[in-house]
Amino acid sequence: MTSAVQETPRPLAPKIFRWDTALQWAVVIITFVLVIFPAWPIVYQSFMDKPLYEKDTAFTFGNYTHILSDPHFWHVLIYTLAFAVMSTIIAGFIGIALAIFINRTNMPLREFFSNLVTIPYYVSPLVLAFAWIEMYGPQGFGTIVIRALRIPTWQLYSFWGIVVVAAMYYVPYTFLYASSSLALADAQLESAARIGGASPFRTILTITVPLLRPAIIYSALLTLVSALELLSIPLLLGNSVGIETLSTYLYTIGMVGVNKDQGAVAAVALLVVILVTGMVYLQGKLTSMERRFVTVGGKATRPKLLDLGGWKGVVAFFIGLYVLLGIILPLACVVLDSFVSFLSPFMNPLKILTLNNYRGIFDTPAYREAVVNSINISIFAAAIGILFMAIAALTAYRSSFKGREAVKYMALYPRAFPGIIVSIGFLWAFVLLPGIGSLRNTIIAISIAFIMRYLPLGFSAISPAVLQVSDELDRAGRVAGATWMQTIRHILLPILRPAILSGYILLAISFLKEYSTALFLVSKGSNVIGTTMLELWKQGGAEPVAALSTIQMAITAALIIASRKLLGVKLHE
Amino acid sequence: MNNDLIIEGLTKKFATSASVAISDVNLIVKEGQFTTLLGPSGCGKSTTLNCVAGLEEPTAGSICIGDFVMTDTARGLILPPEQRHLGMVFQSYALWPHMKVFDNVAFALKLQKRPSDEIKQRVHESLALVGLEDLSDRYPFQLSGGQQQRVALARAVVSRPKVLLLDEPLSNLDAKIRENARVWLRGLQQQLGITTVYVTHDQAEAFAMSDMIAVMSMGKLQQYAPPEEIYERPANRFVAEFIGVTSFITGTIQKVDSQQITLKLASGELLNIHKENRPDQKWKQGDQVPVAIRSERVEVISGGASSRENTIKAHIANRTYLGSKWQYSVETAGGSLRLESTDAIHGDNLFMVLPPDSIILLAE
Repeated sequence: MTSAVQETPRPLAPKIFRWDTALQWAVVIITFVLVIFPAWPIVYQSFMDKPLYEKDTAFTFGNYTHILSDPHFWHVLIYTLAFAVMSTIIAGFIGIALAIFINRTNMPLREFFSNLVTIPYYVSPLVLAFAWIEMYGPQGFGTIVIRALRIPTWQLYSFWGIVVVAAMYYVPYTFLYASSSLALADAQLESAARIGGASPFRTILTITVPLLRPAIIYSALLTLVSALELLSIPLLLGNSVGIETLSTYLYTIGMVGVNKDQGAVAAVALLVVILVTGMVYLQGKLTSMERRFVTVGGKATRPKLLDLGGWKGVVAFFIGLYVLLGIILPLACVVLDSFVSFLSPFMNPLKILTLNNYRGIFDTPAYREAVVNSINISIFAAAIGILFMAIAALTAYRSSFKGREAVKYMALYPRAFPGIIVSIGFLWAFVLLPGIGSLRNTIIAISIAFIMRYLPLGFSAISPAVLQVSDELDRAGRVAGATWMQTIRHILLPILRPAILSGYILLAISFLKEYSTALFLVSKGSNVIGTTMLELWKQGGAEPVAALSTIQMAITAALIIASRKLLGVKLHE
Repeated sequence: MNNDLIIEGLTKKFATSASVAISDVNLIVKEGQFTTLLGPSGCGKSTTLNCVAGLEEPTAGSICIGDFVMTDTARGLILPPEQRHLGMVFQSYALWPHMKVFDNVAFALKLQKRPSDEIKQRVHESLALVGLEDLSDRYPFQLSGGQQQRVALARAVVSRPKVLLLDEPLSNLDAKIRENARVWLRGLQQQLGITTVYVTHDQAEAFAMSDMIAVMSMGKLQQYAPPEEIYERPANRFVAEFIGVTSFITGTIQKVDSQQITLKLASGELLNIHKENRPDQKWKQGDQVPVAIRSERVEVISGGASSRENTIKAHIANRTYLGSKWQYSVETAGGSLRLESTDAIHGDNLFMVLPPDSIILLAE
């Protein structure tokens, strides 16, 4: 026997230091710091009477009494809630209807539509808002055409305009959750209803839709939370007509720069965080109460598709119309605009084709840098981020570390932080903490802020995959002589490779289209595509914005196609 | 120097509830022996095994192999699994899906940074031992269940551990294959002479393979003895009931002498019971006691009452045809009884003999 047992004398005490524990501690500390870093200056500032960098600040409730007694704040709050609720309802109905028609009926072109309706999911809301303005805004291509036909037109710059565009943006959320829930549902449940005498249509209404409830509730609350903090659509559509939501309100006062209202900004920010925390908590509660709808999954039997008969053409027509008017035409407008000197229905675009818009972007160092920065962030920061999130998920679900429960909560908590508030928090923290101020306006700071903001996304993209891997696999590794870290490296990470890759692509796309988290962190040389687009938009040039939008969409499309073809990554089940 | 596996005072409490997963388990597995932890699910057998492996941390107790101490809570010592040098086969086999058979088996040796020649040779030996040396280039999903189970075993023994832990390794196999695997596994264990702890809820497996069986229930060790003793002299009611098909009869002690006890049933029928299996117990006249009897030991008398000792009257309440035999549920003055017979019994009333040496007195 050559076993090491004989060479090992009786160990008297466990080794004090283990790399395993060190790594687990590092995960906990980094997660904690990431979450606390932007949060503390906001909390602190909201109770101080002067901006934090001034001397002689004193404790006060004044910021809150000031805000809460300001009728304007209440007006904005109610407006925000109304907007968020309305767009959630509209997006929910459209998303569920699409999910059922596309997954459960024999309508034509199902696969085709299934891909098209998810497009907004991959497009920045900034681009979508811009696209709708290009098409349906007061001077939009479509609006002008309709006006020329002497048909009454609409006002996109209005409450309902904002609601409709936001709903368009959120439809894929409900659609994707409802579709994956439909894919998992046990066909036997529907068969049982059919045998019980229910017609196919009735089966869908009484069995299929009720079984979707967890997915509906989950995606509705996700939409609601996201809509509450949505900046770009209300900003682009509402700013010129004086419509304000909480995030545009924060943006407007925050952008003015150094101002004595910093306490009020912090107080509003904290109130928003509390509001969103409440929503996130509600989401968790409702979802766990909905466990009774969880059916025994994993059945390979596919349910029979509902025969729509003569209606299938009608349904396909309306879904096609929705996709065309809501997604394809506005985005096509943006792409076309980026290649012409001026987009108008009265000019033949082929005669005014130009690459000047792109030249303008690539010849201006600031704009070129923004594109390069965005690409770098979405390649490198997303890689570092997903690796950290994977290790955090493994610490949370696959270690005996005492703080593992805390990791779960901390990693998911940034969901309660709107991007713009993360941005303000990071800015203040960089200003206030000595020694790191020089990082403030670098893409490193922006990368850290993005990773913090998307911690929940990456963490919850990887967690289900971790939970699906039998823990006997890592136990077997440990018994075979591997430390926890060796088990992670040689066994779990290789097995989780597909989940990590698709998480990576998801994160890279999110980083590419993110702008609100970067708003207050960018400066000369550290701009990203989204912030540059906003800046150009304020300057009033539609064509350069169109060029940047097209570049962003092209990179995203390239990422998705490359990951599908080369890596076999599926972003959704 | 002996390398017995010694478990002393092993206790594990769950942090979340007041209940105890295992409580004060003491076991010595002699070097080279095959010991089975047997019990219903939730009895603590897997927790005990995991504590030995280091996969769970006990609240109290010590575990060592010879003088290699792996766990000693009194000294605050709980070695992590990777420092215990054990081999283990899991219920799902836990073959790493991204590694070929060769790499699965070689993993432990690679971690020990053995030279690659040695790794190749030892992996080959291990795979030859389980008869799969030709499959080293396959991935686990390309193997049958039985083959996967054998790869798992090869992986567990490749680093020549002192103790092999097996967590229900046969439970995922088809019934037919399982019986062959039993014989094969026991043969292999004897060939290697490796100390083995085996966890199962299947009695047949336990009896077929073990040198010693530890019956567990509710986190406690109920009896630790060789298979014959477990069957013939169960230590208590739980063991008697859990093992085999057992019925219980209750009566009053009428007479106690040096050799036997006489039990009087409610009907006045008398049962003589040999005391040899419980010489240590004190029995008093007038005590109400239950006794156990294995259903296959009951003899059915055809053709009316007989003068044989311990003949009692019974009434058939229920009969089930099982193909190879009949199973009857009968009512007697001492309670209901299950019995098995290869013959069909006609009529509802019968006489039966409970041989004095087959009735089991239970320690209360």
